[in-house]
Amino acid sequence: MQIMNIQNRVKIKVIGIALPIALLIVWHVFVSAGYVSPHILPLPETVLSTLVRLLTKGKLILMIAISLRRVVYGFLLGTASGFLLGLLMGLSRTAEKLFAPTFHTIRQVPLIGWIPLIVMWFGMNEVSRILVVAIGAFYPTTLNTFAGVRGVPRKYVELASVYGYKGLKLVRRIILPAALPSIITGFTLSLGMSWVLLVAAELLIETMAGIGKVIDIGRETFNMELVMVGIVTTGLLGFIMTKVVERAAQAAQKGRVFEQEQ
Amino acid sequence: MKNFFQRIEWKDKLLGVIVPLLVLIAWQSAVSLQLFSPLLLIPPLTLVDTLWYLASSGELTTNILASLNRVVFGFLIGASAGFLLGLFMGLSSFFDQFAGPLIKASKQVPQFALMPLIILWFGVDEFAKFVFIAIGAFYPMVFNTYQGVSSVSKRYRELAQVFDYKGFRYLTKVILPSALPLIITGVRHSLGLSWMFVVGAEIFGADTGLGYMMAAARNMFQIDVVMSGLVVIGSIGFGINFILQIIEKRLLVWRVSTDQGAKCKS
Amino acid sequence: MSIQKGTLEIKNLSKSFIVDGTPLQVLSNINLKFPSGSFISIVGSSGCGKTTLLRIMLGLETRYEGDALLDGERIEGPGANRGIVFQDHRLLPWLTVGENVAFGLDKLDRKAKKLIVDEHLKLVGLSGFESAYPAQLSGGMAQRVAIARALANKPEILLLDEPLGALDALTRMHMQKELERLWLLEKITMVMVTHDVDEAIYLSDIVVIMSSRPGIIKKIIKIPFARPRDRASSEFMQVKAEILKEFHLGTEYPFAYAI
Repeated sequence: MQIMNIQNRVKIKVIGIALPIALLIVWHVFVSAGYVSPHILPLPETVLSTLVRLLTKGKLILMIAISLRRVVYGFLLGTASGFLLGLLMGLSRTAEKLFAPTFHTIRQVPLIGWIPLIVMWFGMNEVSRILVVAIGAFYPTTLNTFAGVRGVPRKYVELASVYGYKGLKLVRRIILPAALPSIITGFTLSLGMSWVLLVAAELLIETMAGIGKVIDIGRETFNMELVMVGIVTTGLLGFIMTKVVERAAQAAQKGRVFEQEQ
Repeated sequence: MKNFFQRIEWKDKLLGVIVPLLVLIAWQSAVSLQLFSPLLLIPPLTLVDTLWYLASSGELTTNILASLNRVVFGFLIGASAGFLLGLFMGLSSFFDQFAGPLIKASKQVPQFALMPLIILWFGVDEFAKFVFIAIGAFYPMVFNTYQGVSSVSKRYRELAQVFDYKGFRYLTKVILPSALPLIITGVRHSLGLSWMFVVGAEIFGADTGLGYMMAAARNMFQIDVVMSGLVVIGSIGFGINFILQIIEKRLLVWRVSTDQGAKCKS
Repeated sequence: MSIQKGTLEIKNLSKSFIVDGTPLQVLSNINLKFPSGSFISIVGSSGCGKTTLLRIMLGLETRYEGDALLDGERIEGPGANRGIVFQDHRLLPWLTVGENVAFGLDKLDRKAKKLIVDEHLKLVGLSGFESAYPAQLSGGMAQRVAIARALANKPEILLLDEPLGALDALTRMHMQKELERLWLLEKITMVMVTHDVDEAIYLSDIVVIMSSRPGIIKKIIKIPFARPRDRASSEFMQVKAEILKEFHLGTEYPFAYAI
């Protein structure tokens, strides 16, 4: 039975990579048969070798490092402020009534729309780029922290109050652990949004470096290989970051199973 | 998540205006005390003037229509493709195993990274923008539809089997109604992203649209126009959401008192 | 001689599930014959396979050894000649009460549908509720709608899988009376799975007692008393004690309510 399961899993994996492989083959045949110019669509193997070459010899690593720094700063700034606001609104109904209407009104502005204003106020610089990333990280964490804190089952709070838990102790020992799954969901979504907005910020706020800039240089010089390498790199980095956050989330919640209150 | 559009007591509403009021007062005093350059901060009333000017000159209408036109087309293309793929993936586990990994993997690429590629392939005209917006609209729709269709309760599937519901009848009478709440969530996220992507695409390169209006104003240092643009795109975002809430309420009347905790995805 | 409609016969039936790679026998060599028009209860502790047996009669479980025959024909899948009421009412939440009752009448035209829906809602005492949504109903009302939905198809046999298990004690007794009334009115075979011994004695002509691991039939008891039955009568108590004895509860606790 165990063996059957493994066989089954292997089968599913094989089915799953059949389509990407088929697409790569079609891509290769299409280009090498001359249906489309390699200037418009470079061969997949060229993209791969360019990626490896730029990673080992070129400045791609540096560009990645610069992008990652922006994401980390923006993510920390956005999630920290989002967490605090979400916690405050979750704990106090007065705070919710004070801030929620403004929060939900401002939330209607599509995130990218802030870029022109931020650039005018802070200039075409690193601060603006980090702020744009932070805005992306801010909303999901706020919303999910709020929902998590507000949704803490009443029975746990009642139990804690019977044992004399109050104030900070109640928040730290009962409310935050119970709200943790939702807060972690918020962080995960925030990271995704940060990554999306980073690329937008690097394309829309002129910069000398970063993975978005690599793609943009490729566009300006009509260097398709560079564009493709940039896209693949953003995808790979996004994948790695998601995995890291998922692992961290699993570790944080290890062994804890939460009851959902109906 | 408390529904913003629910009926709120007037006292609560009053509390809600305190913060905007304080912001307005701080804003006006910052202007009066000349804390910032007038290039960076205009008086609140100037913003109203500018909005009125832009509206009466017709400039605003032209740009709004241009942006809305792009959103509608891009959304329709992307969301219908996403709906169909999500439906097939939800109905057939083979198709899910076949196409699912690729779709999930491709989602890892932040869609803005594709904009330069789309421009190189399709030029800077309208079609390129439709494609870009469609990609933004695609993902929330595909995942939510898939989730809704594949998670139809076994209890209902058995019931359909007992009453001999098959094929199209089964799809329309059992699967789709059961998946409807998540499909609507998908539509909402999808439209939200479309609205964000249109602004991005227009800032990047366009000669009409609200994003273009804001980008051009930034280049000429017209902060009043930039801020007006923010107000307008925010209001339209609000309007879209509002209409969707009404439609959702209409379509989901049957959820009378069984309000499940709303899912928060921004 | 032709078999009367609604006759259910189970011959040498066995069924096992595969759990973690090892087969687990849930039903072993079951033999039963229910005459048409009778009310049968199957009682037993949880896990004795009684629900599986009912699902085989319904046609949701098709892999089994032996035979399950309805009117002499082997049951190979669900069919309109068998109605089902599940423990959870299983009304589709997006359909109104009326649409739920009409769920199995899809092939009829609007007028015929409405006629049957009205008739059956009246039958279960819910006239005027056809445009309400399930979420607006109480548990007892929802279960009445589920019964109306099952009866609307005019089945030869109605299968009831712990239909009153989720209701509170008072609603439950009331609904038992209702079930009896419907059975007397419709004159069809009803097979009910329950673990409430009182309920079984109150309603049934035949009580089948099952024991678990693997599920076998321990005893079949015929109950000939006149209806409506008095739960406090001595004959009722006697039968109850007899049944409870099968679960090793009889001697010490003669008045135990349930298992």
